[in-house]
Amino acid sequence: MLAILVAGCSKPASKPAPTYTLRNVTLPDLSHAVPSVQQQLKDGYAALQAKINGAATPSEELSTAYGQMGMLLMAAEYRGEAESALLNAQTFNTRDPRWPYYLGHLYRLKGDAVNSYASFSRALELQPDDVATLVWVGEGDLDGGRPDAAKPRFERALSLQPRSVAAQYGLGRAALAKQDYSTAVEHLEKALSLDPLATVIHYPLAMAYRGAGNQEKAQAHLALRGTLALKPADPLMDRLNALLNSALSYEVSGADAMDRGDFKAAETSFRKGVDVAPKEPSLHHKLGTALALQGDKNGAVQQFEEAIRLDPKFVKAHYSLAVIQADAGQTAAAVQHFTAALNAEPGYVEARLQLAHALRRSGQLEASLPHYAEIVKADSRLPEARFGYAAALIRLRKYAEARDYLTDAMRTYPNDLAFNNALARILASAPDDKVRDGRRAASIMQPVVSQIRASDILETMAMAQAELGQFTEAVRWQQDAIASAERAGSPGIAQRITDNLRLYQARRPCRMPYRPDEPIEFQPSGPAIQSPNP
Amino acid sequence: MTGEFYYREIMAPGVALFDYDNDGDLDVFAVQSAGPSRLFRNDLSSTRALHFTDVTAASGIVTNGYAMGVATGDFNNDGCVDLYVTVLGPNQLFKNNCDGTFTDVSRASRTDDAGWSVSATFFDYDRDGYVDLFVGNYVEYSIAANKQCFSMSGSLDYCPPHIYRASPSHLYHNNRDGTFTDVTVKSGVGREYGPALGTVAADFNGDGWPDLYVANDGQPNQLWINQQNGTFKNLALLAGVALSPEGLAKSSMGIDAGDFDNDGDEDIFITELTGQGHDLYVNDGRGAFEERSAQSGIRLASLPFTGFGAGWIDIDNDGWLDLVTVNGAVTQDVESLAKNEKFSLQQKKQVFRNVGGRFEDATKLAGSAFEAREVSRGLAFGDIDNDGDLDMVVGNDNGPLRLLINNVGSRKHWVGVQAPVGSRVAVTASDGRTIWRRSHTDGSYESARDPRVLVGLGDAAGQVKVKVVRPDGTTVEQNDVAIDRYNKLP
Repeated sequence: MLAILVAGCSKPASKPAPTYTLRNVTLPDLSHAVPSVQQQLKDGYAALQAKINGAATPSEELSTAYGQMGMLLMAAEYRGEAESALLNAQTFNTRDPRWPYYLGHLYRLKGDAVNSYASFSRALELQPDDVATLVWVGEGDLDGGRPDAAKPRFERALSLQPRSVAAQYGLGRAALAKQDYSTAVEHLEKALSLDPLATVIHYPLAMAYRGAGNQEKAQAHLALRGTLALKPADPLMDRLNALLNSALSYEVSGADAMDRGDFKAAETSFRKGVDVAPKEPSLHHKLGTALALQGDKNGAVQQFEEAIRLDPKFVKAHYSLAVIQADAGQTAAAVQHFTAALNAEPGYVEARLQLAHALRRSGQLEASLPHYAEIVKADSRLPEARFGYAAALIRLRKYAEARDYLTDAMRTYPNDLAFNNALARILASAPDDKVRDGRRAASIMQPVVSQIRASDILETMAMAQAELGQFTEAVRWQQDAIASAERAGSPGIAQRITDNLRLYQARRPCRMPYRPDEPIEFQPSGPAIQSPNP
Repeated sequence: MTGEFYYREIMAPGVALFDYDNDGDLDVFAVQSAGPSRLFRNDLSSTRALHFTDVTAASGIVTNGYAMGVATGDFNNDGCVDLYVTVLGPNQLFKNNCDGTFTDVSRASRTDDAGWSVSATFFDYDRDGYVDLFVGNYVEYSIAANKQCFSMSGSLDYCPPHIYRASPSHLYHNNRDGTFTDVTVKSGVGREYGPALGTVAADFNGDGWPDLYVANDGQPNQLWINQQNGTFKNLALLAGVALSPEGLAKSSMGIDAGDFDNDGDEDIFITELTGQGHDLYVNDGRGAFEERSAQSGIRLASLPFTGFGAGWIDIDNDGWLDLVTVNGAVTQDVESLAKNEKFSLQQKKQVFRNVGGRFEDATKLAGSAFEAREVSRGLAFGDIDNDGDLDMVVGNDNGPLRLLINNVGSRKHWVGVQAPVGSRVAVTASDGRTIWRRSHTDGSYESARDPRVLVGLGDAAGQVKVKVVRPDGTTVEQNDVAIDRYNKLP
């Protein structure tokens, strides 16, 4: 809807007032919004009306009033009304870069790339040295398939702010779009060196290395890739995002801070959210998580308990609380909360896995087995469930069953060497004569020890050699294991495993795959190796 | 719509085009979530007029639960196409009895996958002559566990997928006796999964074995490369098809594979959320891809839309694959909500015309049906009126099914080839061009398409040479094949 207004029309003027073509800005039906947002928007609108109705309000002031209303509407996602208000702001003050800048973002959020680009370009005309605007115009060029046009935008941004990761990242992607892989590698490596925590860069860098024919480097960067979007520092948008006094707004800004690893800022946002919506359990849960990540376990427990009080079926709160309790050795309480999470959501695989672990680690071995079995049946992404099942069997001294189970697991997960190690241990040192097979144990471990020199791996090889009667070799492997533990800063382990060294020196084999105090835990493997046929 | 913002409400329905009665024309299976799904018989072959009759009751098809989508395939090789319906709850496999009726064999076949299944693909991954079945599952969800989400201003809205836990997808091996075995773990396909929405099988690396691409909502997509021994490896990351060029997982939904640049390999198109832009992954022929949506002209035009059903379709039969997407948002527009529009997710559909490998937004040329704003989800292509061009059926959420008839394709020459599903077909036209297409029923979103291969020939009026590479790797070639008609190759 268009309206024609004349600034200061309520008063006669000595010379003709400028004429502006304006859009009608109305307050939308706010009945669906929460009261705090309703109030903010009503106050903002009243302030705007006061300026509009004010006698001879200067056009700059009208511009600011429309602009501020536009920002508020934009933050609340009333994008149609926000567009009208920001366009009016731009009309009243054509030299203020903020309004076309916000319009650029508004159109971008709507997917209107053409108007977004035009608005950012207008903002750039008004502030040619603004790095954020340069980057967004460059991004618009990339969206439009114009990497050649994007390049000078990012280069200009870099000349103004040489440490701008967003600009280097943009230059790298512009080169990638042109299939100029070596230039892309150069820029993306620089971007990563500027901010090693900007792990999203690893992915386009991997693609650049792939294009340049370096598959090995491509693979290495893929393994390091992160998922957090990289944007330029954007003070204007930060201001807008902090405007709205709503729970979701604080939740989103808190989540953004969490993603950045700024847990203190996340805590601040979540606390504001809790103030606005004290009965919202997810905010308490997120606040608890932010506290836990800062080491405030007691504060975290309080928030998780509050979330559960507000919603007894809030599974994430039960889970988080149980994880803290399990870490603190409060197994009974942890089991109770993992179980509560599962009762509310039986498909919650992570909760079932942690429940199984808690039961097993606390000696409730038989009780852990059905939980592991259910995970194995439902979700093959988690090799640690199979390993946990096998570990429980080992602790139950069901060695034959554990052997068969681990043999099967090795076939399913040929790259997870934890299965090789556990199986070889049983084959080398199970008390049951029918289970032991020293030759097979050594055969399984040979390719493993050629890649990994961790103490538990070397110790397993020593067990296998001892079982084969090659005690001199066993002593050597065990000495290597002790040395490895010492090198790794684990003198306690080194001391404990000297028992087996004495056994081998006495030319006696080991008959205990795992000592009672030795944890049997899944360790994810490194690179894949060719496993022997088990 | 219940007004309760149940997540399941915004994800269906799919639609299938298949010739259930083998009378030579395409029938329509319309998935219905809140009520029984419907089978419509096309009476074209008997009456010479495009007319459909609701034969649901006579067919014996009774869908249970909250149905989502549909896949088609002849799982028992009896020459009659069977129907697999994905459901929020146990899925249903309907065996075609070859007499116009179907039998529900879900439990007996062991394909009654109990998750929230969305898209499914029949394909013969072990090349034993029997189609196997991949079922893409979305998230762990039930009405009882429905969560409430809110807009920035605090109004109730539909939730994003990450609020729920992804559900594992499943691969079922066809035992050739009417039953299937779940080989998800054994095949390696269970090692990674996300909230799956789109699935398509094709030979992406040119080794003659069918691979599988899975589009995930908000998590990296997967490219399962067939290891030719019953197992698969997900090589999506290194292949360049897991993420956006920036390195971010997108909200991938509809999908199709096709040779848009006529270089003989399968390129991938995926629809995304508003503001993300659709993807065009261009294959180098060996299974390595580059995302070229911006350079090809797709990205800018697709940014305002949330695309679901999608596919490659040579609308004008010029020999170049165009694109169609059907769209509809997944979160409420608060301003529409303020105007008391209770389901304000409507968007128009889009057509992208392929001009020698670049795309132009041709929606305005496609007719008013494309401008109509609806909450579209399923999309299936097929030559419904058997006139030599591809038509389409659109499944709308909380709206009527749409049948869109192509009025331009048959103005140019074409050739139709009926070959076993999964075959690759090369047509060498009289002007010397060789065009590769494949016979498939999967892709798009929750939908199943006409498996007949229809190749546009433009103005090339002479007979063509046709080569068919069957799913088992054997080939058949035929010269002097007549154009402007369908041909069944032995």
